[in-house]
Amino acid sequence: MSERIPEHPILGVQKKGRVVSFTLDGKTLQGCEGEPIAAALKVNGVMVHRYTQKQHRPRGIFCAIGRCTDCVMIVDGVPNTRTCITPLREGMKIQTQYGVSAVPFDDGKPTAAPKK
Amino acid sequence: MQRFDLIVVGAGPAGLSAAIEAAEKGMRVIVFDENAKPGGQLFKQIHKFFGSKEHRARVRGFVIGQQLLEEADRAGVQVVLDATVIGLYQDKEIVVKIRDEIHHLKGDAILIATGASENMVPFDGWTLPGVMGAGAAQTLMNLHGVLPGKRVLMLGTGNVGLVVSFQLLQCGCEVVALADAAPAIGGYGVHAAKVARCGVPFYLSHTIREAEGTDHVTGVTIAKVDEHFQFIPGTEKHFDVDTICVAVGLSPMSQLLKMAGCSMVDDPKRGGQVPVCDEFGATSIPGIYCAGDVSGIEEASSAMIEGRMAGEAIARYLGYIPEADCKQAEKQLERGLFQLRRGMFAPGRKGTKQETTDEGIRLSQTLLTKGYVADDEIERFPGVTHRVGVHPVIECTQNIPCNPCQDVCPKHCISIGENITSLPTVVLDSTCINCGMCVAGCSGQAIFLIDEDKGDGTAEITVPYEFLPLPSEGDTGTALGRDGQPVCGASVVRVRRSSAFDKTNLLTISVPKEYAMKARFFKRCG
Repeated sequence: MSERIPEHPILGVQKKGRVVSFTLDGKTLQGCEGEPIAAALKVNGVMVHRYTQKQHRPRGIFCAIGRCTDCVMIVDGVPNTRTCITPLREGMKIQTQYGVSAVPFDDGKPTAAPKK
Repeated sequence: MQRFDLIVVGAGPAGLSAAIEAAEKGMRVIVFDENAKPGGQLFKQIHKFFGSKEHRARVRGFVIGQQLLEEADRAGVQVVLDATVIGLYQDKEIVVKIRDEIHHLKGDAILIATGASENMVPFDGWTLPGVMGAGAAQTLMNLHGVLPGKRVLMLGTGNVGLVVSFQLLQCGCEVVALADAAPAIGGYGVHAAKVARCGVPFYLSHTIREAEGTDHVTGVTIAKVDEHFQFIPGTEKHFDVDTICVAVGLSPMSQLLKMAGCSMVDDPKRGGQVPVCDEFGATSIPGIYCAGDVSGIEEASSAMIEGRMAGEAIARYLGYIPEADCKQAEKQLERGLFQLRRGMFAPGRKGTKQETTDEGIRLSQTLLTKGYVADDEIERFPGVTHRVGVHPVIECTQNIPCNPCQDVCPKHCISIGENITSLPTVVLDSTCINCGMCVAGCSGQAIFLIDEDKGDGTAEITVPYEFLPLPSEGDTGTALGRDGQPVCGASVVRVRRSSAFDKTNLLTISVPKEYAMKARFFKRCG
């Protein structure tokens, strides 16, 4: 889980957009309009953005500036959307990405952390 | 095809500075940046910058960013955002993707100021959600106001690792430890000391063995490494964490220069693949220039000067200013850059083992391995003196390019001299008026105002304090030593806030006088 910083000793209270609703895999969540989708998901405790195609391993926020593409998800039907640089808008439909699709893998669950 | 005098790629400190210089000389300039906002990484930098007045020392990075944007606006610099330059070709043609369109432009000169990207180091579990770049943590907390996690381990003790660790503490995260495979802390000692006095342990010659967790990070194991960076069995240490930050250096994003055919060189001292260029950023291809981290990893302060110098050079190259006119401006810029590149952390000294300061004083080894100067080491540094009444104690023990303490003291109690990397000294016969400007003005938070003997068996220590909640007068708690360990009971006798202090509040605590030279931080009861 994570949370918003209510007041920062240097930056004070940060200005955020109005609170809007969006869905993640059908479940309604809330975030601030205009903030990156990834930030809104972080506040909602969502760590896993996608599972990899071959080994079904989880991925989340890694670089947070649109460079690494680890955090991509399906946003309003578009796969491989970089959630760390895509602003959240009211009513967005966000889906966890499995490979490049929104359909969970046959094994139902992702594999465990890599074995040594 | 649209044509410009100068096309700048990257609207960070280097690119904007160059664009401003060029635009002010009458050139038609356009700046492209792939991000939604200009300013590069400056807006994530919330600490006060080092350097001297001309480098805007003592000003916080995000404020410098705002100033730079305003200056660019005034100069009429056109910045196009969400614009990724995807190609740089012969004859200075670029291809840029602006949202969903591809555009093709030509510049009489091109400046590449694309900056750098974070390095990574793979370990078991490194792809788990919860492992992120230190820059990612900085972006989440300082740009978006979201905590990257609750309990964090930082890998890397360069300035990025140290600064981001402190920023994590500032927004209320717990930093369980900093680890680094190197045997000595890589960043400024003063940055390490800020973190250490909060009680965060440093593990040098340690790196991550494994990030634990199934779907996301739930813990981390670090272990000691030998001189060949091999794990030593039996030295493992486990921490429960939800976040692991990786700060293991930056690499220049020099791909466009390589694509254009500029001569490149692998230079570890500059951070990797960098263009061959002169001091003005001119590459091997006439008309293609570079500035900032793309030409070698340094600080934002040097990137801004490099940008200015490149802007001057491009104006000269295109004939916008006569040769003679730029000599003086260039000299001044070169001098500013030269100052920043001196001292123990100078690019030329990277990787060399240093035993003493430029003054010949033995360096604190505890500072290099644990992040703080030990009680029995601190007295040998020239900023640490004893006298009757309130006086500054300057715990600045490495030669870094920084001198605001010398400028802010209205009574000239502190001297650094001409060379901005010299250690600060306390001026003999000067009279401290306890104004606190030095405590708040020191970018490294390394100055304390101390009255060693109040006459009633107590001493008073004024410390910089950039955390919330701010303690109040009368609060009681524990004084922590430089190592972050409790040394004695303490009470807050004065809290000072002022716009002149720029968010660095001053906390004056009272302690038994025998702890005057030990107590350096305050933790409230409960």
